[in-house]
Amino acid sequence: MTVAPGTQTEQRFALTDSDRRRMRTNRIMLRIIQVATFVAVLPVFLILIAILAKGLGTLDLAFLVNNPLDEQVGIANAIKGSLAMTGIALLISAPIGIAAAIFLNEYASTAVQRIGDTLVDILLGVPSIVAGLFIFLLVVPALGYNGYAGALALSVLMTPVVIRTTQEVLRLVPAGLREASLALGVPMWRTTIFVTCRTALSGILTGLVLALSRGIGETAPLLLTAQGSNDSVIDLGAPLSSMTIVIYNNTISSDPTKFAQAWTCALVLFAIALTLNVLIRFKTINSRVL
Amino acid sequence: MADSKTKVNIKTSAPKSSSAQRASNGASSSTAMRLLNVEAMYGSFRAVNDVTLDIEAKSVTAFIGPSGCGKTTLLRTLNRMHETLPGATVKGSIQVGGTDLYDPSVDPVRVRRSIGMVFQKPNPFPAMSIAQNVSSGLRLSGTKSKRDVAEIVEESLRKAALWDEVKDKLNEPGVSLSGGQQQRLCIARTIAVEPEIVLMDEPCSALDPLATLKIEELIGELKTRFTIVIVTHNMQQAARVSDTTAFFNMGADRGGYLVETGPTNKIFTNPSNKLTEDYIAGRFG
Repeated sequence: MTVAPGTQTEQRFALTDSDRRRMRTNRIMLRIIQVATFVAVLPVFLILIAILAKGLGTLDLAFLVNNPLDEQVGIANAIKGSLAMTGIALLISAPIGIAAAIFLNEYASTAVQRIGDTLVDILLGVPSIVAGLFIFLLVVPALGYNGYAGALALSVLMTPVVIRTTQEVLRLVPAGLREASLALGVPMWRTTIFVTCRTALSGILTGLVLALSRGIGETAPLLLTAQGSNDSVIDLGAPLSSMTIVIYNNTISSDPTKFAQAWTCALVLFAIALTLNVLIRFKTINSRVL
Repeated sequence: MADSKTKVNIKTSAPKSSSAQRASNGASSSTAMRLLNVEAMYGSFRAVNDVTLDIEAKSVTAFIGPSGCGKTTLLRTLNRMHETLPGATVKGSIQVGGTDLYDPSVDPVRVRRSIGMVFQKPNPFPAMSIAQNVSSGLRLSGTKSKRDVAEIVEESLRKAALWDEVKDKLNEPGVSLSGGQQQRLCIARTIAVEPEIVLMDEPCSALDPLATLKIEELIGELKTRFTIVIVTHNMQQAARVSDTTAFFNMGADRGGYLVETGPTNKIFTNPSNKLTEDYIAGRFG
């Protein structure tokens, strides 16, 4: 705006005060969002450092293979309990969730699809303790605390995850593939299974792993349904332990050795969850389909 | 009684029996398909108005016309693909060998098995190899073929002029091929199920000139075995590949209608309608 006569070409792009102000604001804002990003990812490293520092010391093979009532401490029953309950929950959630996603995406009318999407959204937002409370009221008064109830509570939380991730990958399958298949004289149901779902397969599997990692980290619904147990026999019909329950119970314990075990158990759980997440990445990157 | 017998025939029709069937129905032996007052709707919007047209067997019929004139929509009514879109419906009748494709007793799946379709964008199945793509129609439709699948794959790829380029990599993914090869793969996949009629929806619009040339040559060879209906935006292409040309235009209500149809030579040199002449001359569209 202040152009001096004579040296017009040089003066034309000279910085004005407002330019300097804008650039300074730009620098500050850039720094703020950098710091925000750093703060956001910092817990990853802090958690890792904390559980490694506190948990690694007492981690040995005996801790993994022994049960609580053995001479040495151990969480074998909790690991098995976690895997059993999450596994059964997945066996319930996977077929129901995939089928529901196929129905909503491939067959339902727009109106039904919209209603379905909203219900899935609501289900995704159900606090896990509420899901646990629901199964608690449904099962525990009649049958007592047991592993099946825990699996059921987890499946309530995992099913919407399966539905949503499956829906998202089915949406990525180009409409042209379904049309190509139908135009070959392939019936709709075969098109859905052998073309649409086949094309989305790795994405669907990723969704299942995602649901699994959601389920294995849940605590509150299991406390209300499976309760926890020191029994070394894995009986799904009786109260059952899980890694998360062990972490919870030992953390609120005043016994320092028990407290230390909570950290070790947390380390094991974190390692399993991390493995699942890495598995997802590996699967997604190596898939040429979707 | 005779009528129901015809329906059974169309449902299981194979190319071998089709000419005899047409003759027995008394229709002109050169008519593969007869469109009577066909209208195609998207909800309440009429995209195609009252088309009556005969499609000649073992020849190439081109649908040309400006964008939005309903030619692709009409093409999709010919193998009942139109109705797969939400809200899409068809009125009128489309007869093949004396049977109305839209008769309530006719299963659209069977219609599509004898009337195949090649799409605008090459769409091989990404999860399948080249060979699996070709045999997909046979495998997925659950058709028990007495012939060896490998034999059908080779024959179809040869007919689609792709065999020499892919014979050493049949197990590689279909999507690893170039665009033009992918489109010929899609043609091989379509003819592997031995349809009578092959519909092509702007099959070259996503391809470069050389790939286009190959497909056009292929269409010339395919018409000895199949009845071909091709939608194209490219008038030169219609002139090069087709025997009959149908010119469509968009009406005042934005619905498409058939302006005129005739031998391609005549349509391109001496059309009877002024609109056709203007379109061919590039004065609109």
